[in-house]
Amino acid sequence: MTQSFKTGGRIQGHSANLLLLAGFAIVAFVLPIALSGNRYLAFVAGVTMIHILWACGMNLLYGYTGLMPLMFAGIAGISAYTVVDLTANGWSFWLALPVGALAASITGTVLGLPSLRLKGFYFTLCSLVIQTVMTLGFIYFSGLTNGDTGFSQIPLPSLRGEPLSSLSYDLVLAAAAVLGVMVLIAIMRSTLGRRLIAIREDDELAAMLGINVTGYKMIAFFVGSLFAGVGGALYAPYIGFISPRSFDVLISMNIWLMVAFGGRGTIWGPVLGAALLAPLSFFLQEYYTIKDVLYGALIIAVIVLMPAGLLGSLGRTPRLPAAEIDAPVPRRSPK
Amino acid sequence: MSNANLIILLSTISTGLILGAIFSLVAVGVTIVYGSIWMPNAANGQFFLLAALFGWTMTVSWGLHPAIAAVLVIGLSVPLSYALEFVLIRRFYDVPNRNISYFVLSLGITQILAGIFAFTYGQWSDQFQLPPLIGGITFIGPLPVANNRLLVLVLALAILAALFALLRYHRYGRAIRAVFQNRDAAALRGVNVKASYSLSFALGNAVIFAGGILFALAYSFDLTIAWTMSITAFAIMIIGGPGSVLGAFIVGMVFGFTQAAVSTVASPTIAAFSYLGAMLLILLFKPSGLFAR
Repeated sequence: MTQSFKTGGRIQGHSANLLLLAGFAIVAFVLPIALSGNRYLAFVAGVTMIHILWACGMNLLYGYTGLMPLMFAGIAGISAYTVVDLTANGWSFWLALPVGALAASITGTVLGLPSLRLKGFYFTLCSLVIQTVMTLGFIYFSGLTNGDTGFSQIPLPSLRGEPLSSLSYDLVLAAAAVLGVMVLIAIMRSTLGRRLIAIREDDELAAMLGINVTGYKMIAFFVGSLFAGVGGALYAPYIGFISPRSFDVLISMNIWLMVAFGGRGTIWGPVLGAALLAPLSFFLQEYYTIKDVLYGALIIAVIVLMPAGLLGSLGRTPRLPAAEIDAPVPRRSPK
Repeated sequence: MSNANLIILLSTISTGLILGAIFSLVAVGVTIVYGSIWMPNAANGQFFLLAALFGWTMTVSWGLHPAIAAVLVIGLSVPLSYALEFVLIRRFYDVPNRNISYFVLSLGITQILAGIFAFTYGQWSDQFQLPPLIGGITFIGPLPVANNRLLVLVLALAILAALFALLRYHRYGRAIRAVFQNRDAAALRGVNVKASYSLSFALGNAVIFAGGILFALAYSFDLTIAWTMSITAFAIMIIGGPGSVLGAFIVGMVFGFTQAAVSTVASPTIAAFSYLGAMLLILLFKPSGLFAR
């Protein structure tokens, strides 16, 4: 076995990707208009757009660079809290958004530093610890975060003094998701993308080929965290409520699941995963405990039955026996 | 030293001992499983809570004596462990880098159990309290301590001692340790590796269950202890050295005292920050832990 997952670009070809992108953009922009009569469904679609953006960021780190950070939601939370604090102090949302996203990116890059020393399980555990510390921090520094209660009634941003209508904010979210996918496609078409894949496959070999592994891992964290940050900044005013629970380890796991379920290391797998799983949690909100059981069962199913995810297993002959997640593929067979 | 200070000191020591012994039990359980089958069981806190909740059902709902309930709960862990091992754990024994698969798998189990607890026990009560094993109070100096908690401490230490003896001297324990050290060499010497894997999985979980039921007998608890316990047990295992039973014991005791001391002078959040910080430092600078085997 040479490679347990292939890059979407190589299988589908670039023109197919652009066609899919055009289709996705049309769906993303038409959906809020078509659903504008039903606020609830339009809202679910908007949240799904944010999750698509998050899934793209996680995919860059997990699918393409081979790192599995379980602190993704915490990074999004940093941006969300920054934006809420800044707008409460009179900043314009459109100025607070880049500041918050940048704060998240820098935090993510710093918190990604352990990935230079730790691999596989140890890095994932480390990121889980960081996520737990961040959740505790969101509760503990209540001056900035309002503690366990969180912030509620966060207003929608305004433009030229006029508050945005829900429909126009829905369109902003759609634009963010489409832009996210476009950026990811562009990255994966460039040398940057190919170098990230080289690092995922074998970082020692990549270093020997002259790839600056440290630098590229940091770039991956910066860009991935930027996705998290933009999503977090857009999330806060849309939901209107944030608390430490909105960005805890379960949310990180959910975003991971969207990527892994859809097919990591493919452009469209995580988009599909987010589009399928994000609405699910809303339709099951009445029975939120069942949602936990379902997500847990899906995690196990992904690990045991389809390590490559929905799209990853297309176009591939029989399923590999090994449910490897994060490690470079060994060149020698283990058995 | 004034009497009040002495009472604070003594109560910190006694709480530290009991918490330390229970932390050690759970961490030893986790480290046995990690050392043998390479499974970092993030669901350990949920297993811990499961044992405590089973104990609550048996004593409060069914009216069993707590001692009988404790034995039943620990006994129940064995078929549950073997069933889980048969359905899921066994599939990964030959996978390279399986620790990350197991880690995510156990996070999935965590989520399932947390969901189940929330719509069963979570709707019945907020706080759970088991009847004590024995009544009465003993005075240690000026500090009154419930006999029940002393008995829990003695039992926890006894289980730890028995575990050490089992791993060091008994045939099964030696087989488990041989597989810890070198799976292939142990197989060549006639150790049934797969059987030793399932045995250590069951043994580790039984120890975690014992920790859970003993904690429930000593203190009242709610559903949030599960995740706290998971993270604590992981911190202890990483700092002590993954797979090191002695390390898990020593660091577990230290953590118990830290928790008791810091909770007296500051808040439990500070305690959590401090050992998560310690764990990060160890992960970054000495990932093999302080007591690497």
